[in-house]
Amino acid sequence: MFADPRTADRITGLVLLMLGIAMLVGGYTMDRLEIRQIHPASIPGLVPMGLGAAMIICSLLLIHSSRGQNTQAIKTEQGSARNLFVSIALCIGYAVGLVGKMPFALATGIFIFLFALYFSWTAEGSRSRSKLVIFTALFAAVFSGAISLLFQYGFLVRLP
Amino acid sequence: MQALQSLADALLGFLTPMSLFHVLWASLLGIFVGSLPGLTATMGVALLTTLTYTLDRDAAILVLICMYVGAIYGGSRSAILLNIPGTPASAATSLDGFPLAQKGQAANAMALATAGSALGTLVGIVLLVMLAPPLAEIALDFGSFEFFWLALFGIVISGQLTGGGSVLKGYIAGLLGLMVAMIGSEGIHAHVRFNLGMSDLNGGIALIPAMVGAFGFAEVLTVMWRPKGEMVEAKGESTRALPRMIDLWRYKFTIIRSGIIGTIVGIIPGVGEDIGAWSSYAAAKKLSREPELYGKGSTEGLTAAETGNSAVVPGALIPALTLAVPGSAPAAVLIAALFIHGIRPGPMIMIEQPDFIYNIAAMLILATLAIALFGLSLTRVFIKILKVPRELLMPIVFTLCVIGPYALTQRVFDIWVMLFFGLAGFVLRRMNYPMAPLVLGIILGTLLDKSLRRGLTLSNGDLSPFFTRPISATFALIIGASILLSIPAVRRTLLRLLPGRRQAHAQEES
Repeated sequence: MFADPRTADRITGLVLLMLGIAMLVGGYTMDRLEIRQIHPASIPGLVPMGLGAAMIICSLLLIHSSRGQNTQAIKTEQGSARNLFVSIALCIGYAVGLVGKMPFALATGIFIFLFALYFSWTAEGSRSRSKLVIFTALFAAVFSGAISLLFQYGFLVRLP
Repeated sequence: MQALQSLADALLGFLTPMSLFHVLWASLLGIFVGSLPGLTATMGVALLTTLTYTLDRDAAILVLICMYVGAIYGGSRSAILLNIPGTPASAATSLDGFPLAQKGQAANAMALATAGSALGTLVGIVLLVMLAPPLAEIALDFGSFEFFWLALFGIVISGQLTGGGSVLKGYIAGLLGLMVAMIGSEGIHAHVRFNLGMSDLNGGIALIPAMVGAFGFAEVLTVMWRPKGEMVEAKGESTRALPRMIDLWRYKFTIIRSGIIGTIVGIIPGVGEDIGAWSSYAAAKKLSREPELYGKGSTEGLTAAETGNSAVVPGALIPALTLAVPGSAPAAVLIAALFIHGIRPGPMIMIEQPDFIYNIAAMLILATLAIALFGLSLTRVFIKILKVPRELLMPIVFTLCVIGPYALTQRVFDIWVMLFFGLAGFVLRRMNYPMAPLVLGIILGTLLDKSLRRGLTLSNGDLSPFFTRPISATFALIIGASILLSIPAVRRTLLRLLPGRRQAHAQEES
């Protein structure tokens, strides 16, 4: 995923540089509240300007230091990009797509079922498929129900 | 004597069936959270903050403290059995714990870890009771100038010590946290900054959704991304879960030293349990009679690491309570929780609520007793817990990450904040940006901003009081020196100038 740390650092450096410039400009152009006759040293944009300047310096140093890095010497942790993207898709799909669009318990049940089923299905040595589906469905129903009841009646939360 | 009396009163106050019930379930849950790779102490405390806001003040804080202590201790289980630290705090534990488990001494290793954690927390509690009141008194002399430097000091030191190989990344993480804190209505003129046209951002980014995202959702992604851990099958394992007293007596100095080192590391802002464990481990190795055993199954190394990381917990609470500057990431969440429950941590705490520090010490003692009890009695149960498949656990954790922040404010916007910080936290962590300075930046940003502008208003725009007042000048010197020393070229030049180091440095370079 982040195969080359040098490239990653360079891209991050550029993004941070833009962020720093945006913060500096944002602080400089921020309303100085002259109409309220505040002390000029207490303008709201003062600290954002300082942070923007500091970020510009740090990002330039990051870009500079990424040039001298020896990629052979950097150990990068390896993981499954497929698992990561499926997890992100399921989690965001649940939080943005399901929650609020249907009863919370149902949305949570669907999410837990799909998440657990997908990763159990792909895991090696899983039990027979039909048993797995039944177990996962029961698991999802029990936990989605329990979490919903706990928050609704235990913590008196109006569920989304 | 007065302190002891106050502590005894506080302890007696918690000896009610309901309080003890809270201690037991929260410590057990904490050990459970800590022992499962992917569930960290910060995440546990953040999620539990959202679940305990309906409890009364003391019960809620008691639950959070027990979760914190339990989770830091619980991390040792997976470090010993899986070679995967349950929390980053237990990374040093796995160096010797796992080899011990491979040799068939898993039960002994877990028993030693339990004893080390309990004793480390106790050393930290003693120092908390001794140091917090005088520190709060000193902090009463702090004005805007000193608070500005204190906030900056926290971020700079945290950035340096948690940045690992790159101090620059530590600084960048701190700056990002400070930038997040600039969003929303500022504290002096109530002017709304950087709300990007979204009225939901007018109040700023709340710490709890951000922390639940950065430590909860990001961990869910990390766990699913990483390959699965394999558990060591215990061979010829004894069922004995009690540590040998002779081992503890043999390591008495290691335990006391690691406890003190851990507490001091805890006091340093934003430098958490992992650094406490590594520092204690390094010191123990240096002074050990058997340094060659370290990394190959040294019981002394294991004890030092576990004592060190647990002692950080009370240590981290010292600045959190007296200065409102968190000593670690979970302590940052605790500060947010204190505010939710109407407690204002800071120098005034010893005046407004003088007994509160003793209440916290009593809570820590109860949590320590609970982890000792569970740790020594439920060894086999926790081995079973480690076998809970990640594909069943993680969707439940994520569901709590969604509903937890929402429960606090009933705003769907906070779910989005959690998602944003989760994704950003995952990416930043994969690129070796430490999370502690980021958290510290979010929590200290307001203090830094208000203190600088208030100080400048008081001095009519004159910067000199920031450098001439004694405490300010000391902070400024330390910050300046530590930033300068973090620049490799400056460090190299200084090393060359030191006569004793010259030769060693020359050898290093060759």
